[in-house]
Amino acid sequence: MFRHTPLRYGVLVLLAAAALFQAFTAEYFGLEILTEILILAMLVLALDMVAGFGGMVSLCHGALMGVGAYAYAMLTTKAGIAPPVAMAGSVAITGAAAWVIGAVCARSHGIYFIMATLAFGQMAYSWVFEAPVFGGDDGLGGIARLDLTMIGLDLTDSRSFALFCLFALGAAYGATVLILRSGLGRSLSGIMHNEQRMRALGLTVWRVKADVFGLSGMIAGLAGALAAQHIMFVSPGLLGWTVSGEALVVVILGGLGTLVGPLVGAAAFVVLKHELSAVTPYWHLVVGVILIAVVMSRANGIFGWVEARWGARIDRRVADATRKQQPGEVVSDA
Amino acid sequence: MANDLGFWTLQALNALQLSMLLFLLSIGLTVIFGLMHFVNLAHGSLYALGAYVAASLAAVGGFWMGFFLAPVAVAGVGILLYSGLIRRMRKSGPMAQVLVTFGLIFAMLDLTRIFWGDLALAIEVPALLDGRLSFLGVEYPTYRLFIIALGLAIIAALAFVLGRTQIGAMIRAGVDNDAMAACLGINVERLFFVVFCVGCALAGLAGAVAAPLLSVTPDMGLQILIPTLIVIVIGGLGSLKGAVAGSLIFGFVQTFGAVLAPQLASVLIYALLAAVLVIKPVGLFPAKG
Repeated sequence: MFRHTPLRYGVLVLLAAAALFQAFTAEYFGLEILTEILILAMLVLALDMVAGFGGMVSLCHGALMGVGAYAYAMLTTKAGIAPPVAMAGSVAITGAAAWVIGAVCARSHGIYFIMATLAFGQMAYSWVFEAPVFGGDDGLGGIARLDLTMIGLDLTDSRSFALFCLFALGAAYGATVLILRSGLGRSLSGIMHNEQRMRALGLTVWRVKADVFGLSGMIAGLAGALAAQHIMFVSPGLLGWTVSGEALVVVILGGLGTLVGPLVGAAAFVVLKHELSAVTPYWHLVVGVILIAVVMSRANGIFGWVEARWGARIDRRVADATRKQQPGEVVSDA
Repeated sequence: MANDLGFWTLQALNALQLSMLLFLLSIGLTVIFGLMHFVNLAHGSLYALGAYVAASLAAVGGFWMGFFLAPVAVAGVGILLYSGLIRRMRKSGPMAQVLVTFGLIFAMLDLTRIFWGDLALAIEVPALLDGRLSFLGVEYPTYRLFIIALGLAIIAALAFVLGRTQIGAMIRAGVDNDAMAACLGINVERLFFVVFCVGCALAGLAGAVAAPLLSVTPDMGLQILIPTLIVIVIGGLGSLKGAVAGSLIFGFVQTFGAVLAPQLASVLIYALLAAVLVIKPVGLFPAKG
């Protein structure tokens, strides 16, 4: 089950502070990068929920985000539905799609699960690419952002939009933690550790997997709806398998199954990408080598490495500090 | 059009040619997986590398030089990869292997761009195979017939080696139960190494023969990877029969789908894959029962 250690809380607070600082001080370009990080962070949060806590290594989360983006684009531009309703709709559509994928793939394991999710992701990609309704290769443009002027936020401004994304990411993080701590999340962890035992205990394994996959899809769909509003344009490239692959890379670079780690990974990945592509056109090479090094080192990503090295010590110190305080109070009482 | 026999023959030949190309790639990947339980996503990059090496050599010494030396060069790169990375990753789970080879895809994509640039390269078809041949009442490019013949020859050769020779029996034993095969005195590690090199060489060969048909671009390895994975997952991992069946199914569904139902063509193959995974989660002809 997912637990917040003092180290995790600390990193979360640091990340939130850094994001807020960036949101209030950065210029246009910095804000665009911040928004990109926040949206990617939401996607990898969704992926970590299924991959890190359920062992379901999905290669279709990029496509799910794309489904969310396209659903939002279609609902607002073609069906003329108001943005708030369209956002809810796109989240629901993506969640339903993910639930079906999760239900179908629940019987597959290991490499077959990866391949099966890849197949579904590519199916969505080809469909969007081929069908004229979706604008084909040209994509769809003219997507409106949510209108929050009634609470004094103008989302066409990139600062407000970045803050809005930060708020959405916070909500998604909270929801993920709640899901993982619920009975459903605990059943999922049980399935990851020993599926047969959970089945023997009377659990309907495929239902648990499908439900969590659907919930994860809803978060990915929200990320998609935000991505569509961010660039105000959607193209089939959003659903490509390399997007899913990159999301998986970010989860691994950050630290699988830590929730906080992938957030660190998302920030590191986007910043690295922008810094490297400014220096060299071959940033893929650097990312590839880093990825190989991280996986070969057998550390659980950046955050996992920090946690394994200093996590126990920090947690002990915090525990000691709190214990020292409590006896002190007792003594003064006596 | 649809009632014309010539049209069907032509499409069937197209499908067969695509199937054979995919077979050359998927057989290496599937046997490596079946024997070593290793997921090598970088197999497509080796294919791209084969195409690039063939294109460079063809510019120097003609098509045949590229054709014969590209597989050797790619096998050499395979040896480097094996001793540097893959041997150490053998015991890790599929997730780590997928990620390391995903990193390799990234690295090799940019390395080919650094060495050969972003522009597409082209190879001339050799004079011997240029032109068209009248075949079953249709005119068909000789070079494509050559690919079909090459693919069939390699299927026959592999079927003979795997089914009738001692090393084939050892490989089959290794796929079936590597621990037991090792107990019986088979040097499984060396067997893995040989199979890995042959698989890489076949990927290089596929790149070399595909180069004159498609233009040689850095992302050709990425483009072929997904079809190859679909082939081995439909066919079942680790078996020659599965690779043959998978490539034929993919080639025919893709080709006839594109002709008969263009709107559905690309969705069709993924739907088929999903259906196979739902009904038979381990593919049609897996090596292990």
